Amino acid sequence: MVTVAESNLPPRSSWLAIMSKRLFDGPVNTVVTLLCIGFFAWLLYWIIDWVFLSSIWSKDDVEQCKEATGACWSVIHARHRIILFGLFPFEEHWRSTLACVVMIVTMIASCVSWFWTARRLSILWVAGFATFYVLMQGGYFGLTTITPERWGGLALTIFIFAAVSIIGMPLSVLLALGRRSKLPVIAKLVGLFIDFFRSLPLLTILFTAAVITPFVLPGWLQGDKLYRVIVGFAIFFACYQAENIRAGLQAIPPGQDEAGLTLGLSYWHRVFRIQLPQAFRNSLPAIINQFVITFKETSIVTIVGFFEILASGNAAYGTGEWTQHYIEVYAFIGFIYFIFVFSLSRYGAYLEKRLRVGHV
Amino acid sequence: MSDQQSNAQAAVTMSGVNKWFDEFHVLKDIELNVTLGEKIVICGPSGSGKSTLIRCICKLEDHQRGDITVLGKALNDDISNIDEIRREVGMVFQQFNLFPHMTVMENCTLAQMLVRKKSRKEAEEIAMNFLNKVRIPEQAMKYPGELSGGQQQRVAIARSLCMNPQIMLFDEPTSALDPEMISEVLDVMVSLAEEGMTMVCVTHEMGFARRVADRVIFMDGGEIVEQNEPETFFNKPQNERTQLFLSQILQH
Repeated sequence: MVTVAESNLPPRSSWLAIMSKRLFDGPVNTVVTLLCIGFFAWLLYWIIDWVFLSSIWSKDDVEQCKEATGACWSVIHARHRIILFGLFPFEEHWRSTLACVVMIVTMIASCVSWFWTARRLSILWVAGFATFYVLMQGGYFGLTTITPERWGGLALTIFIFAAVSIIGMPLSVLLALGRRSKLPVIAKLVGLFIDFFRSLPLLTILFTAAVITPFVLPGWLQGDKLYRVIVGFAIFFACYQAENIRAGLQAIPPGQDEAGLTLGLSYWHRVFRIQLPQAFRNSLPAIINQFVITFKETSIVTIVGFFEILASGNAAYGTGEWTQHYIEVYAFIGFIYFIFVFSLSRYGAYLEKRLRVGHV
Repeated sequence: MSDQQSNAQAAVTMSGVNKWFDEFHVLKDIELNVTLGEKIVICGPSGSGKSTLIRCICKLEDHQRGDITVLGKALNDDISNIDEIRREVGMVFQQFNLFPHMTVMENCTLAQMLVRKKSRKEAEEIAMNFLNKVRIPEQAMKYPGELSGGQQQRVAIARSLCMNPQIMLFDEPTSALDPEMISEVLDVMVSLAEEGMTMVCVTHEMGFARRVADRVIFMDGGEIVEQNEPETFFNKPQNERTQLFLSQILQH
């Protein structure tokens, strides 16, 4: 017997009923479904077996690696310092570790909404970068000086990513606003600038920044190679991100700005309080996407002679006894990339949900 | 003395105002005087330039020829004049144009704090006062997307009033609303008129025009064709075009 309340609801099938209807209706579908389940179960078992069951973990069991059918994690055990720290002096590795932690904490903190005022964010990032710099570079508080050529591994990857983002984001906002300027000269010039840098491969830009600019720029403007590369990378990042933000700005109905005008709000107030918050919400998926791409593209700096995590990984298995075990090294590096990029994506998804407040 | 007095009472003066959108001559030699406290209703077929006309008053559109003076200040390219005029003129739009990423309360306090430099507490008190007046104080913490069209338009009116404007412009405030929500917005506008607010309204609500307007203006083809106090305007329209327009909209 159907009660009144039930009869008002749309009919719903159980999970099991849906599965049997879609996957097991008829002999052919049943066979295909079973085959697929079997294949994925085998694949899963094979991975678990390789990673955990048949793998060698201890550094002392190197000899066993030759017979083992699973992964030889001993290579990570023995070489993780090279992978994580590159050419950074061995006895100073604690500084690099601490610097990484500081940078990661800064990144996580800047995702917390309490920090989302211009003042708090800038204090946070200045403090984060300063601490990172002092720890890595040294020269203060009795720390020995280590120049950026010897920075490497995870710390370098994180530093490049953070520095590119923090220089690139404000720049991208300025470029996006510039390209929408009512003054044709500014709009055209900014448009040319963006299209120029977007037309060049990142590799060319990094190479130019590292190798060619020293011949062109006056000495006091050159700075270290690392900083030139970061600035080049940041401009590249900003040009792409500017187009994402501009897309978000275009999507805002003109009435929003008009409402701001009639309330007497100034240009910058309209930009920061009305336009940008809505633009960021509109193009959040694309903006996060650009961050994801940028994190992975940091590996390209290898080409101009920096030992970020992927290059250090290559060095880690490159010597004698470990040459067989590059898969384990790449799996390890892949896992580190995954942790960063996956958390970035999840953070993006969280933001999207949060910013959808009140939007029906 | 009398000259000064009449100047002091002038809210909006438009003389010889012309405007083009590229080739299209949208406003032709507009002459319009609005005194403080006066309520004007502008009607006319779509494309007649009525929205453009009131948008010129707060410089959302530039005019190319003629003079516009608002509250004694010339509306030209002098940016400080424009800022000052915009602060004293409130505008309500057909599409409400509430800020969707802010609560109703934040919508009402933003400009007060940034432009009028009021403290948050003071701004919120003023906002609550006007939200009470438009009869939706209970929605203060909601986002615009959670409100009905009529409620959103009332918030938009409250948001404008929070800036304590001397003139209110309404650009078809009820045209985007479902029929059952029109009266709640008109009620708010009527009570605003009764309090003596200077109002220039572009609207097709002829009942509202009859009830509150001091003058009804009919525009067609970028010109002011006819203007009169409502009684005469509706009962004895002089111009053919006015007669035709009125017969069309009052048919049903």
